Amino acid sequence: MKKVELLSPAGDLERLKVTLLYGADAVYIGGERFGLRANATNFSIDEIKEGCKFAHKLNKKVYLTLNIVFHNEDIDEVEDYIKEVVDAGIDAFIVSDPCIISYIKENFDVEVHLSTQNSTTNYETVKYFKDEGIDRVVLARELSKSEIKEIIDKVGVDIEVFIHGAMCTCFSGRCALSNYVTNRDANRGGCAQVCRFSFINKDNKEFTMATKDLNMARYISDLIDIGVVSLKVEGRMRSLYYLATVIGTYRKIIDDYYDNNLTEEKLNIYEERLSRVANREVSSQYFLKEADYTDQYYTGRKEESNQDYLGQVISYDKKNKLLKIYERNYFKLEDKVELFTPKGDNIIFNIEKIYTEDMEEIDVARHPDNIYYIYLDTDLVIDTYSMIRLIYKSDYEVKD
Amino acid sequence: MKLITELNKKNINDYVDYIDGVVIGLHSFSVFNNVVYDVDEIKELSNKYKDLEMFIKIDKNIFNDEIDSLKDILIELSKLNVKVMFYDICVLQLVKELELDIDLVWSQTHMVNNYKTCNYYYDKGVKYALVSKEITLDEIKTINKLSNINTIVEVVSLPSVGFSRRKLVTNYNKDNNSNFKDLEVLEKVTNKKYLVKEEKAGTGFILDEVLNGTGLIEDLYNSGTSYILMREIDDFLELVQDTKEYISNECKDKEYVSKYEKLGDNTGFFFKNTIYRVIK
Repeated sequence: MKKVELLSPAGDLERLKVTLLYGADAVYIGGERFGLRANATNFSIDEIKEGCKFAHKLNKKVYLTLNIVFHNEDIDEVEDYIKEVVDAGIDAFIVSDPCIISYIKENFDVEVHLSTQNSTTNYETVKYFKDEGIDRVVLARELSKSEIKEIIDKVGVDIEVFIHGAMCTCFSGRCALSNYVTNRDANRGGCAQVCRFSFINKDNKEFTMATKDLNMARYISDLIDIGVVSLKVEGRMRSLYYLATVIGTYRKIIDDYYDNNLTEEKLNIYEERLSRVANREVSSQYFLKEADYTDQYYTGRKEESNQDYLGQVISYDKKNKLLKIYERNYFKLEDKVELFTPKGDNIIFNIEKIYTEDMEEIDVARHPDNIYYIYLDTDLVIDTYSMIRLIYKSDYEVKD
Repeated sequence: MKLITELNKKNINDYVDYIDGVVIGLHSFSVFNNVVYDVDEIKELSNKYKDLEMFIKIDKNIFNDEIDSLKDILIELSKLNVKVMFYDICVLQLVKELELDIDLVWSQTHMVNNYKTCNYYYDKGVKYALVSKEITLDEIKTINKLSNINTIVEVVSLPSVGFSRRKLVTNYNKDNNSNFKDLEVLEKVTNKKYLVKEEKAGTGFILDEVLNGTGLIEDLYNSGTSYILMREIDDFLELVQDTKEYISNECKDKEYVSKYEKLGDNTGFFFKNTIYRVIK
């Protein structure tokens, strides 16, 4: 049985590597032009080449977003760019403009996926694009389980759906709020997320429409059962830690499903893990019912920063039992932490000793971006890009 | 260049002498309408106003459970002398599958932005396109020059700016224990008002400021635009009468332009390029 694909965003080359190491089967990236995250870091042609090489060595894939809604000046320049990217080794393009689909299919032997920007909500539209040669359709996020199933059953083209991350309030592609409020073109990658702004109604009360995030951890089995071929995580601008946690967790859910080992107890653990990197509340949005009162916020932006991520592992000195880490957030002696690896292993331990880069023993690591050593005695293989997260803070009193 | 209108009441008769065509909302399949018609009413209109071009607006996002009734409607419409404005590509697919002889208008609101995609749809048999309100006059001129498609340009309206499947007014009412039918909300930074209108298909956002493209009708005329579209605003009949006369006189009457400066200085994106990269 062919396993469902876990598709991760990657905002730069390091994220691409990390997310593939943490279990993504494929990544989607943006080039320097024509993608819907114009303000993300995005990939140069050389970086695309390196990313593809890295992915292909692992037998994984790289997809490039080419999903802006093209204006005259863009469309005149895209053809040369497509050739460059194909030569760089890309496995598929994610597009929304049908004239680009035809151009790519007529000129290159590469897959084309229809972007969710097209807001595809029914089987006849999927049929249209199948006839146009599309290899995969990323469905609109406004669909229920039965609607997705009916499309799969009736058309027989590969279907991809979003499983995790931020949602738009409006149909994708059908929103120019950003254009009108900020002059930033939503359909060309400049979306200012005006749907997360707060407005004032004439009764002088706040009007907001910001949605809660999507989290489908509990419904991965359903999506696989109805025949979805790819499960997509949102967020090309998300951090390494976020990607490692989210992709690592969904990897486990998918693998447990195929091993007939996805228990309620495990799901609870996985959901709790995902909640540690969430900065908004989550819901399954339209999957089980029409999105309603419970699926949005009523008081402006609702984002909470998260300081669980303590650091990224640089190396482990087995002889001296020292973990070298690049610190991201404050930690101190006796804090209970979890080290997790790209392979999916994890160890929970209390911090017994901390050293500075000059091997001075200290009781607190106060300075993000600095190098520290933590004492840890383990036989586990600890790869680069392993990470440490806080479980809970200790009562240890820091000496001045 | 022809003049078409979209009206807020079922009063086509008041306008029929001054317009070349009319946009008609189709019951259950159009959004952003103040008035909709069912197929039988459209048949009556089509019989009554034989010289009037009718543009039937099927512009909601279509879901699986609507496909069968949409098929029936398209079959009925294909028997009439009407054009169908579509948002969802399923309309194009159904027309192809059912081998219907029906004029189609590509009408994907914010997505009708370049000449090559216009030509793509033209080659698929779609002979008309309602161009996006978010592109510039120069971009429209380029589409007119390099595309075969017959363009429709919206020059007067309260512009629609977004549509959601969510019931945002219902949700607001529930949270506030209020009972608004529609909302009028203020965006605090720009100090612009938006109308938030809920309907069966979801919730639409409309900028509460008239788009006034009357001053560029001459440019549109000279660049080969096929139709201009005016959606009803206050004192609409007089505007329509004047515009019809203005076009009949090859857009030479400067007084028309001066007179309609009163509609305000919101020329939308006709002279304003949007940005999409933020300089950091």
